[in-house]
Amino acid sequence: MLENYIPVLIFICVGLFVGVAMIALGGFILAPSKPDEVKNSPYECGFSAFEDARLKFDVRFYLVAILFIIFDLEIAFLFPWAIVLEDVGLFGILAMGIFLGILVIGFIYEWKKGALEWE
Amino acid sequence: MTFFEVVFYAFSTLMVVAALGVVSARNPVHSVLFLVLTFFAGSAIWLLLEAEFLAITLVLVYVGAVMVLFLFVVMMLDINITRMREGLMRYAPFGIAIAILLIVQMIMVVGPENFGLQAFAAPELHGADYSNTKELGRVLYTDYVYAFELASVILLVAIVAAITLTMRRRPNTRHQIPGEQMKVMKQDRLRIVNMKSETIDSEDK
Repeated sequence: MLENYIPVLIFICVGLFVGVAMIALGGFILAPSKPDEVKNSPYECGFSAFEDARLKFDVRFYLVAILFIIFDLEIAFLFPWAIVLEDVGLFGILAMGIFLGILVIGFIYEWKKGALEWE
Repeated sequence: MTFFEVVFYAFSTLMVVAALGVVSARNPVHSVLFLVLTFFAGSAIWLLLEAEFLAITLVLVYVGAVMVLFLFVVMMLDINITRMREGLMRYAPFGIAIAILLIVQMIMVVGPENFGLQAFAAPELHGADYSNTKELGRVLYTDYVYAFELASVILLVAIVAAITLTMRRRPNTRHQIPGEQMKVMKQDRLRIVNMKSETIDSEDK
């Protein structure tokens, strides 16, 4: 089975080589590097920076992300089920029906609660 | 050393280095990115064990979704590094004690006497037409159906918990209601007033 993944390994190696070679050639070997204090200072159109770039995120992004992960996991369970659908038969279809039914309750809950509204 | 072992040790080394980077990076965002690299290496090691479905799920779910969540959490917390470093020496003995406890526990569980190749034989390599996903699916929806249904209940609890903990109503935000906009009729917006026509006398004369 592992021989099917040889192209992936070769692709990782080529990608790593291209990325490292470009940064090494362009950033360290070929480019002239004469840093001074002014060049290294953050540039913000004339005046010096007065605020940290790292702002606090709104907690609503977190809610959307976690609701996405839950349904992402649900989809992950669907893939092996779809492959073995002929083997597991009616029992497997009922099992997945209950699984999806419980999650649909959660979906209705979050919809009615307004968690999907952005306001 | 076979080619298989070279790949295994390369990814194991990458995983250990990346895991060290997670705990030693100063910037928490860099720690999260090192954790992404750790998951990638872990996924490659799972693939070497022929657990291809788990390997791809690790990339899909953890790298794709969970790490985005971690980045949100890291960015939501207003981390001031200089202030965090102040209490380091005060908490150091406590932290070292917990670290030693964890190391002892891990050695007891995954120590050489019950984690070597004698305890768990290496899985035999399968042919090119072997599908790990199929094997997994055959038992997941029949033998382990109870655990499978429990997983959905856990996900349901996660939905309810996330909404309860993080949902905040803001009544004073201004927003559009597209449904109301679509439903509006001419009578709601426009008022036609009957009045006599006005003539302008001064300019005609």
